[in-house]
Amino acid sequence: MMRSMRFDPGLIRARQRERLAEWADMLPVLAGRAAWRIGPPLIGIALFLALWQAAHLQYGAFILPSPWQTVAATVTALSGLAGWAALGATLARVLLALGLSVVIGGGLGLLSGYVAVIRAILAPVAIILLGMPATAWVILTMIWFGPSHGAILFTIAIVTGPILYIGTVDAVRGRDRRLEDMAASFGASALARFHRVALRQILAALGPVIGIALALGFKVAIMAELVTNVAGLGAEMARARAQMDIDMALANVALAVIGLLLIEHLLIRPLQSRTGHWQRPDG
Amino acid sequence: MSGLTLATISHAFAGRRVLDTVSLVIRPGELVALVGPSGSGKSTLAAIAGGVLKPDRGRIMRRYARHGMVFQQARLLPWADARDNIGFPLQLAGMGAERIAARVQAAAEAVALRPDDLSKRPDALSGGMRARVAIARALVVEPDFLVFDEPFAALDPALRRRMQDLVLSLSGARGFGGLFITHDLFEAARLAHRIAVLDRQGRGITGSLTPPGAPGTRSEATIFGFVEKTRDDPLLRDLVNVDERALPLEGACDISGFRRCC
Ligand SMILES: Nc1ncnc2c1ncn2[C@@H]1O[C@H](COP(=O)(O)OP(=O)(O)OP(=O)(O)O)[C@@H](O)[C@H]1O
Ligand SMILES: [Mg+2]
Repeated sequence: MMRSMRFDPGLIRARQRERLAEWADMLPVLAGRAAWRIGPPLIGIALFLALWQAAHLQYGAFILPSPWQTVAATVTALSGLAGWAALGATLARVLLALGLSVVIGGGLGLLSGYVAVIRAILAPVAIILLGMPATAWVILTMIWFGPSHGAILFTIAIVTGPILYIGTVDAVRGRDRRLEDMAASFGASALARFHRVALRQILAALGPVIGIALALGFKVAIMAELVTNVAGLGAEMARARAQMDIDMALANVALAVIGLLLIEHLLIRPLQSRTGHWQRPDG
Repeated sequence: MSGLTLATISHAFAGRRVLDTVSLVIRPGELVALVGPSGSGKSTLAAIAGGVLKPDRGRIMRRYARHGMVFQQARLLPWADARDNIGFPLQLAGMGAERIAARVQAAAEAVALRPDDLSKRPDALSGGMRARVAIARALVVEPDFLVFDEPFAALDPALRRRMQDLVLSLSGARGFGGLFITHDLFEAARLAHRIAVLDRQGRGITGSLTPPGAPGTRSEATIFGFVEKTRDDPLLRDLVNVDERALPLEGACDISGFRRCC
């Protein structure tokens, strides 16, 4: 009985049809869900482009090129080696400097999170550094190091370092210590408690902070490049300004945004979803 | 056979004395239920017994190889699924993945967790499931001493009964000792050799009650009779009577029953 049922071709076809029908029923639901997910951002983008276009029509191409002209200029910039080189130089600088400030700011933050005395000593320093405007650092490092690669690295690192420091201290202090007690009850050593229980929570809390530091670092990098005229997106913008080439200036802005999106989605998001997936209720 | 001695333990949190010269001797193979009003310091004493908290004063002597501890809250790792949570103590000990899997399997079965629940993370588990994961995590180390802090408070009566039987069989078969904290006098009378009562302000163990017979051999009638009789015992006055801290009557809770408030 079972066997004949399972191998009856008519029955199999009927079942397949049933499954197809189920899918057909699901289709509007799935489409609706997809529309809900990508619809609103698309409307936002369209709105932004429409405003841009309207402003372009109002003020003319000399003040504000149209979105289309900007895309064309961006493509032109990326079709030569120079555009890629500028983007690459800025990206590389930001990543290098951010790595530096993760090591120093994050390292000191870990230490301060655990040792109250160090935290008390470093607190005023962190507040002063956080309060320093980024432009002040651009000027100072220009004077100290001259217009060089190192000056820009230093600027980015000194601006993002305190943010990572504060973020790490908060992450250490905000962890759930009861979990470490639990591990201790099973005989975990202090080191095991740190790297099996604490570090995980600290990294998860640090993800968003690194995202913020990255965005800030990118902005500071472009500003520093603009002032020091060291190769990069900022320097390209300085050149565009000197030549009053508004198309090229906007193309560089577009490149900067693209660069930021690239790092965000290729580097930060994957890292975040690896360390912090348990914090999102839907993840 | 395993035992534990807590000698003249004192502990203060931020200058406030929570435990004051508390001494408790758990003889080898003895399961002691600890009862006491809320806030009397039972969980603090459990943390000290479990080696999580170092008391300000006093001595702890352990005569067992390994304890398994269940905290009042489940304390599961939020990023790990139930399976990894249960296996966590074994991972800490550096055991191989295959042996861990086998032990986790056995522990999960003992606490009646279904296999498909094992791949859920704690936020997807119900309160009772979380409690059972925590119990399985304590059992997976094959302990010879139990430190259980109200482990069954989140379970329904049937599961609670089943977990009690599990503890009874473990302590009966392998001669485990243990410190078992509960608010439920029936539970205490079913499981324990002896019920120790902690002073309301943590000023020592005020006394012990010993239900007749050995745990596991007591009939329901015996347990019921014992609980009814001891309700009037002056030792349990703070625990059983509604005292000045209690809520207005409609919100008042039955401290010794299932519906006790948290
Ligand atoms: N980490 C802590 N820091 C400060 N005070 C604490 C801490 N843990 C416990 N206490 C205090 O110690 C006292 C005893 O707490 P404990 O948790 O041991 O009570 P308990 O007897 O387990 O109560 P319950 O039956 O409600 O679980 C309480 O007054 C509590 O506020
Ligand atoms: Mg407690």
